[in-house]
Amino acid sequence: MRTGILVHSLPAALDIYEEAKRVPGVELFVLVCPAPGDVGFRGLAKQIARLIFKSGRAGSLKLLAGRKVILFQKPLDHPDTLARLEKLKLDVGLHKTGIIYRESTVKAFRSGILNPHIGLLPEYRGRGVMEWAIIEGKPVGVTVFFVDAGIDTGGRVVLREEIQIPHCKSIQETKQYLFNLDALLFRRALELLSSEDFRCAANDASGRRYYVMSNLFQGAVEEIMRRRTMDDRR
Amino acid sequence: MKMREELISGALSTRFDELCRVRVPHIAPERFGEAAQFVSEALGNLLDASPEEVKKSSVSLNAPLEWMTSDADCFSSLRALCLGQQQELHKGQHPRLEPFLKSLDASRRDPARRFQLIAERYACPLNFSLPDEDEAREYVLMRLMVQERARLERGSVEAINADDLLLKLNLVAIHASLAPDLRFLDSLNYYYELLPAAWHPQSAQGWLLVSYYALYARALAARI
Repeated sequence: MRTGILVHSLPAALDIYEEAKRVPGVELFVLVCPAPGDVGFRGLAKQIARLIFKSGRAGSLKLLAGRKVILFQKPLDHPDTLARLEKLKLDVGLHKTGIIYRESTVKAFRSGILNPHIGLLPEYRGRGVMEWAIIEGKPVGVTVFFVDAGIDTGGRVVLREEIQIPHCKSIQETKQYLFNLDALLFRRALELLSSEDFRCAANDASGRRYYVMSNLFQGAVEEIMRRRTMDDRR
Repeated sequence: MKMREELISGALSTRFDELCRVRVPHIAPERFGEAAQFVSEALGNLLDASPEEVKKSSVSLNAPLEWMTSDADCFSSLRALCLGQQQELHKGQHPRLEPFLKSLDASRRDPARRFQLIAERYACPLNFSLPDEDEAREYVLMRLMVQERARLERGSVEAINADDLLLKLNLVAIHASLAPDLRFLDSLNYYYELLPAAWHPQSAQGWLLVSYYALYARALAARI
């Protein structure tokens, strides 16, 4: 399975690369694409700066030496980038950028692009879904699914599970904890996709779209989390 | 009451007090021209009010079961709802939603046209809360919380069409008072935090700011 990790910088790909390479039959590539506004020379200069100054330098250099890194100077939906993606004949993309992909980009991957969403689909689409689940008294969880051009409406779900977060004391900490599961989740999703009898579950997109939460409700969520942590300690 | 519900109620209670005791007293009715009388009356109902008092004045805010019409236009109806005045409503023919949504989408770069479309459809503002208007509500909520929020956060409040924004907030506040979906109430929370406390819209229907506060207070009181 030819798999491309979509990132804005090499260090961002390291953990995912290390986990995903453990899946038998997976051939990995790191696709470094410019963040919006970072195209051309500016983008290249940022990449070099990250390579020099950011942690994970050794890992990044190792990836470069292995000739598994592809640097795109133009946006992912640019015809030149799309042509290069087509030539790579990739099966799956792993989303680790801040971009909402256009249909043309999604179609450049035979099966599509996987997104590790920090909410349970189809119920929780959009932004701030972790804190919305808490304020509505519902379970927190993650869903790995193939994206489409909509907001968390991609129809094929590979993995969906509730996550226990009693050790997390704040919204920020919980989000970071869930985001940090991405490498592990991608590995498990790739394992599932590699098995012959696996079938994706359906996301009927019937859930509501959520939006960024007010400071008022975020404060209530923080207090709910704090009290739950205290109850667990007792 | 469960711990979660208690905490939500407590947060809303704090916001209600802040709205009625800190934000509202700074508004000067005389700056609203012909709407000064309405503004003065609406503010009078809010100043130092308790949630119970605001709930009592909400008698005219009932969820409709079918499409209603009235002789009044959207703005007169909003003023009447804010002041708790009874309106004479009649059953009417539910206009098709699809052409309205198409027109809204076509006017996404024309806030004045969008404002006109919304004001015409919701001449009886309670209709916004009808189950069949779900798609229109989701569209309005999305516009508020994505495009308009982003524009406000990038620039200043002067960069937006105040009447268009405030009319949407008024309708959302009506729905938030009548429905359990917390997303609508929280969009009002969000805008309360986002809009400058001393903002005085210089637009034709600037009084919609005061009706937004009055209806927001009702939505808060409904959950305290």
